[in-house]
Amino acid sequence: MSRLSPFWRAVLLWALFAAVMLALPEVVSRGTMRTFIAAFFLAIFAMSWDFLSGRTGYISFGHPFLIGIGAYTTAILSYRFDVPVTLSIPVAVVVTMLAGTLFFLPALRIRGTYFALVTLAFMELMYQLVQVIRPDLTGGTRGISGIETLRRGAEANYYLAFTLMFVVAVTLWSLTRTRIGMALSAIGMNEAAVAGSGLDTTRLKLFAFMVSACVAGLGGAFYVHYLGSIAPRALFDINFLFTIIVAALIGGAGTITGPIAGALFLTFLLEELRPVLPGAERYLVYGGVALVLYIVQPKGLQALVMGLRGRRA
Amino acid sequence: MTQILIQGLLLSGLYALIAVGFTLIFSVGRVLNLAYGAYLMVGAYAYFHFVQTMGMPQAYGMVLAVGIGALFGILKYRLIVRQLHGDQVAVEIATLILAVVVQAAIVLVFNDSAKIMHPIVPGVWRVGGATVTYNILAATIASWVILGGLWLFVTRTHAGRAMQAVSMDVKGAAISGIDPGRVNQITWAISGALGAIGGIFFASYTQLSPGMWVGPLIIAVAVVVVGGIGSILGALVVAHIIGFMEVTTTTLIAAELRGVFTMLLIIVVLIVAPKGLFGREEL
Amino acid sequence: MSRLLELQDVVKRFGGLIATNGLSFAVEEGESLGLIGPNGAGKTTIFSLIMGELRQNAGTIRLGGEEISRLPTHARIRRGVARTYQVPRPFAEMDVASNIQVGLMPPSLWRMLVEPRDRAAEAALAESVGLPAEDLARTPSELSVGDLRKLELARTLATEPRIVLLDEVFAGLTVGEIAQISELIAERRAAGMTFVIVSHDLRSLEPLVDRVVAMAYGAVIAEGAFAEVTADPAVRAAYLGT
Repeated sequence: MSRLSPFWRAVLLWALFAAVMLALPEVVSRGTMRTFIAAFFLAIFAMSWDFLSGRTGYISFGHPFLIGIGAYTTAILSYRFDVPVTLSIPVAVVVTMLAGTLFFLPALRIRGTYFALVTLAFMELMYQLVQVIRPDLTGGTRGISGIETLRRGAEANYYLAFTLMFVVAVTLWSLTRTRIGMALSAIGMNEAAVAGSGLDTTRLKLFAFMVSACVAGLGGAFYVHYLGSIAPRALFDINFLFTIIVAALIGGAGTITGPIAGALFLTFLLEELRPVLPGAERYLVYGGVALVLYIVQPKGLQALVMGLRGRRA
Repeated sequence: MTQILIQGLLLSGLYALIAVGFTLIFSVGRVLNLAYGAYLMVGAYAYFHFVQTMGMPQAYGMVLAVGIGALFGILKYRLIVRQLHGDQVAVEIATLILAVVVQAAIVLVFNDSAKIMHPIVPGVWRVGGATVTYNILAATIASWVILGGLWLFVTRTHAGRAMQAVSMDVKGAAISGIDPGRVNQITWAISGALGAIGGIFFASYTQLSPGMWVGPLIIAVAVVVVGGIGSILGALVVAHIIGFMEVTTTTLIAAELRGVFTMLLIIVVLIVAPKGLFGREEL
Repeated sequence: MSRLLELQDVVKRFGGLIATNGLSFAVEEGESLGLIGPNGAGKTTIFSLIMGELRQNAGTIRLGGEEISRLPTHARIRRGVARTYQVPRPFAEMDVASNIQVGLMPPSLWRMLVEPRDRAAEAALAESVGLPAEDLARTPSELSVGDLRKLELARTLATEPRIVLLDEVFAGLTVGEIAQISELIAERRAAGMTFVIVSHDLRSLEPLVDRVVAMAYGAVIAEGAFAEVTADPAVRAAYLGT
C-alpha cells in the first residue's frame, strides 16, 4: 500500500466502514438488523453527549432531556397537528437547540459536578412536567403511540439509521479536525488557559452546546419516527442516560469512533445477554462490566488497548 | 393548614435524615456520591428481607441493615473512590453507574414489582383534624435523635473533630497527624449507615421499589446545592424548605407536581447563586 | 513615553482578608518593571486582577488609557496584555505545536472553522523561545520545567501582547535555563515589548528591569531603581518578616 497522509487514511477507513455496513443487510437476519438500528441511534446519542462532555469536560447528566425535547416536538407536531415530518423534524431540531441554550445558562457560572447536577435536575423536571402539563398533547404518563414512521421494514430502516449516523459521525469528525475542535478539547483540559490565550470560552462552549443539542434533537426526532411511539419513562430515565454515557465512555470519550464502537459493543452485549438474563437484570452484568472498565481506565477501551500495547512494546 | 404544618414538619424531619449522610460525604470527601440513593435502597430491602420475609425482630433487622449500609459505604470508598484518586467527575460517573448496577441487582434478587413494607410503628394519631401515622411520627423522632447524635459525635468526639478538620483542610489535617484516608473511610461507613436507616424509614413511608433511590437522591442533592456544605444545621433548614414545599404543593396544587419545585430549586439556585444560599467557597 | 498600564487605588478583598490595599503603580510603554515582595504580598493577585481572572473591589485598571476593569479576560488579551503562571499549565493531552496554536487562534469562530492552522507560525514561535523543532510533536509531559516555561511563553507571545506579565519565571529552572529565558526577555525588550516581572530571584531579575516596585501587605512600600529599592530599610524589613 502506498503511503497515505493520516487524513486520507482516515477518509479511506470511513469509506471502508460505510461499505461494510451498507453491505451487511445482504448477509444478516432482520433481527440483527434491528439490533444494528438500535445501536446506530445509541451511537448518535453517545456522539452528541461526547461532543459536549467528552470534549469540553462539561458532564451532561441531562442528555435525555435534549433527546426528549426533539422527540416530543416532532411527535406532537406530526401526530396531533398533522404537520408533515419534512417540517416537523427540522422544527424539532431547532427547538432542541433552543432548549440547549437553557442548559447553557448554568455552564456560564458552574462546572464539574454541579453542572452535571443541574442537567440531571432538568431531566427529572422534564419527566414530571411532561406527565402533568397538557397531557392532551403529550399523552401524559402513557405517551403517544401510532406516530408516523418514515420507513417500513428492517432493511429500509437499517439504511436510514445508518446513513443518519454516518452523516453525523463524519460531520462531527470534520468539526473536531478544525481549530474549533482543538479549542474545545483545550477547554476540557484547562479552561482558564484557553481564556488566557485570548479566546472567548463562552462563545466556544455555546457552540459545543448547540452542536450537541442539534445532534441530540436530530437523533431523538428520527428515533421517535422509527419507533412510532414515545413514553416519558422510557426517555427521561436514568437507565437511558446511563446507557448513553457508558457507550461514550466505554469506547473512549473525546473521540468520534469511541462512541460508535461503544454503542455497537453495548447494544450487542445486551442482545447477547437477553436469552441468558431476560429483563432488567442484564443491566447488572452490563453495568458491572462498565464500572470495572471505567475504574481501570476512565479513558475507555481505546486507551486501554493502547496502554496494553504500549506496555508490551 | 394544621395538616400542612404537621405533615410538613414530619416529612422535613425524614428528608433531613436522608440528606445528612450525603452532605457528610460531600463535606469530608469532596465528592458527590450519586450511588447514595443505593444505600437507602439496600438498607430498606435488607430490613424488608430480614424482618418481613425471615421474620426477625425489628431491632435486629434494623441493626443488620445499618451494618450492611456501613459495609457498603466502606467497600465503595475502597473499591471505587480510592481507585479514582478522588477525581470528582470520575467518582460522580462511577457512582451513577454503580447505582444502576445496584438497582439491577435488587431486581434480580427481589424482582421489579413494588413492595409494601409494614409500618415500623403501626397506628394513627388524630390531632386537630389532621391524621398522623405513628410510623412517620416515629421516623421523624428517630431522625431528630439521630441528627442530634451525629451533631454530638462531630463536635464532641475525637473522630468527629478529625472529620471536621479534614473537611476544612485535608493537607492541614494531615500535617497535624490525622490520617485523611482513615477519616474518609469512617465517614463513608457513617454515611452508609445513615443512608440505610433513612432508607428504612423512607420505604415505610412510601414503598419499596427498585427505582426508589432516585427521589431521595434528588432531595439530598438539593440539600447540598441549596444549603452549602458541611453544615448539619444548613441541611436541616433546607430539608424543611423542601419538605414544606412538597407538602404545600401536594395539598394545594397537585400531587404530581410535588417534585417539580425541588428540581426548580436546584436549577434556580445553581444558576442564580452558584455558591448556595448558605455559602460555599469552591465550585 | 506614555503610560501603557496603570493601576489606581486597587483594592481586592477575599472575605475579611485584604490582598491589595489601595494599590497604585504604572508601567511606561517599552519599560520593564520588576515587582518584588515577600510571599503573600499580593503580586500574583495583581496579575490576576489585570487579566480579569479576579475582579477588584475598588479602583481602576487602565491599559493604553482605556479602563479595562469590566472586560472579560479574552477581551483584555485582544487589547494587548498577557501573562504567564508560576506553575505552567499546558494542555496536557495536546502536542507542543497544538499548545502554541491555541494562542494563535483568531477570535472569530468562523475563521477558526474554515482557516487551516498555520504550522509555520507555530514553528517560528517555538524557535523564538528556544524550543527545538523536534519538540513540536512531543506532549508536555515529556518536557522539562524549563521547556514548559518556554512553551507557555510561546503560547503567551502568540497572542501578540504589547505587555507581558511574567510570574516567577525563574522558579525551578537550572542556571542554564535561567540564562536562556533571560536572554529571551532581553531580546524582546530590545524589540520594544513591555514587561512586568515578578521574581524572588533578585539576582536574575536585576539585569532585566528598568525599575522596581516593592510590595508588602498589598501595598507599594518602595519604588525606584533596583539598587535603591533593594537597599530600602522598609523593603529589607518586609523581606525579613519583622
